[in-house]
Amino acid sequence: MSVNQQDLDPDSTTDMEDVTNAEEELIKECEEMWKDMEECQKKLSLVGTETLTDSNAQPSLLIMQAKCLTAELSQWQKESPEIIPLNEEVLVTLGKEEFQKLRHDLELVLSTIQSKNEKLKEDLEREQQWFNEQQQILESLNVLHNELKHQVVTFSESRIFSELKTKMHDIKEYKEKLLVTLGEFLEDHFPLPDRNVKKKKKKKNIQESTVQLITLHEMLEILLNRLFDVPHDPYVKISDSFWPPYIELLLRNGIALRHPEDPTRIRLEAFHQ
Amino acid sequence: MSVLRPLDKQPGLNTATILLVGTEDALLQQLADSMLKEDCASELKVFSFFSHLARSLPLPSNVNRPRIDLIMFVVNLHSKYSLRNVEESLRHVDATFFLGKVGFLATGAGRESHCSVHRSTVVRLARTYRSPLLFCDPEVDGFRAPVAQRLVRMLQICAGHVPGVSALNLLSLLRSSENPTLEDL
Repeated sequence: MSVNQQDLDPDSTTDMEDVTNAEEELIKECEEMWKDMEECQKKLSLVGTETLTDSNAQPSLLIMQAKCLTAELSQWQKESPEIIPLNEEVLVTLGKEEFQKLRHDLELVLSTIQSKNEKLKEDLEREQQWFNEQQQILESLNVLHNELKHQVVTFSESRIFSELKTKMHDIKEYKEKLLVTLGEFLEDHFPLPDRNVKKKKKKKNIQESTVQLITLHEMLEILLNRLFDVPHDPYVKISDSFWPPYIELLLRNGIALRHPEDPTRIRLEAFHQ
Repeated sequence: MSVLRPLDKQPGLNTATILLVGTEDALLQQLADSMLKEDCASELKVFSFFSHLARSLPLPSNVNRPRIDLIMFVVNLHSKYSLRNVEESLRHVDATFFLGKVGFLATGAGRESHCSVHRSTVVRLARTYRSPLLFCDPEVDGFRAPVAQRLVRMLQICAGHVPGVSALNLLSLLRSSENPTLEDL
């Protein structure tokens, strides 16, 4: 029954005889097919039945399937395709159906493509925006780069080396100058008491020290050297060559500090830390 | 014993009949309902098909029933009883039915812990009878509809409503795991 069933309305009021003719033709064909089927049905009912058990199922089924498939194959080969009676009615109806299907499919395709288009447009816009932003970034970076180029001084190692050397030299000179100035200043304002004692005292001091006193400059030198040579123990033992008033002077002005446990040791205050 | 035979009656006009054989009525009813919901309106034909729900074959012969186009044996993997029932019923089916008009449907494979019948048993059964095996979990809504669709399509072909494809053709086309060496291992 591969024929499309049309609306078989016997009370159709169309005057077109062609229509009824077409319908009658189709009905006739269907009736013939039905008769064929009834005959086949009768033949079939004469065939006996058989049931299967688990054991003989597979082989017998396979044989049966093979037989039926070959039969079907030969039937297909014998048969030539039958066309339904091609009169106008049928053709028109079939044509309409085909066109409807086609239209439906095309509409689907259209909508899909439209949505794809929109998505692509959105993507394009987004990418365009991103691209613009990147361009802006690139421009600003370029500007920055140009500015910086002008500020870069040519790099040369030897120049830096010589610069450092001159710096060192300047600093050393400065240090020398400072030390010299310090020495002069100390000599002028903090002389050793020898001259004073000689000038002032005529009577002999029993406690006159026989040790040679060292200048304040030398004392400071000793303290300074000790501080930098042995930073973890910058204490210097007070020797007799230190003139006590000068020690007091240093201590009172915070230039030197006593050892917290040992009063005979002093250190220089670490002004650089 | 009356044996079920294919093509024993004239077909009805625009009808196709499927017979669901299984022990659980609720399950079968669900399946039948979802199949009925499937509309074949896309082909501009509305099928009315009677899904006969049978517990087991043989069917009572006094029932005025139409020609059966497709038999689906529903095996619930959770109960051995349904398997035995199906095996019993198989004896009442004519051999010619198995040329594409019989299928096996196994339900409940989703919950492994409750399966008392192993999957391979059902697979072997389907292979012995050279019929397609489908799996379904009818409780889950999402699974029911596609299985129903498949069944309706199979039914259409078995009833001969699809020109050019016979039930046997479909059977040959459905064979997927035909490799005997793998299955015999």
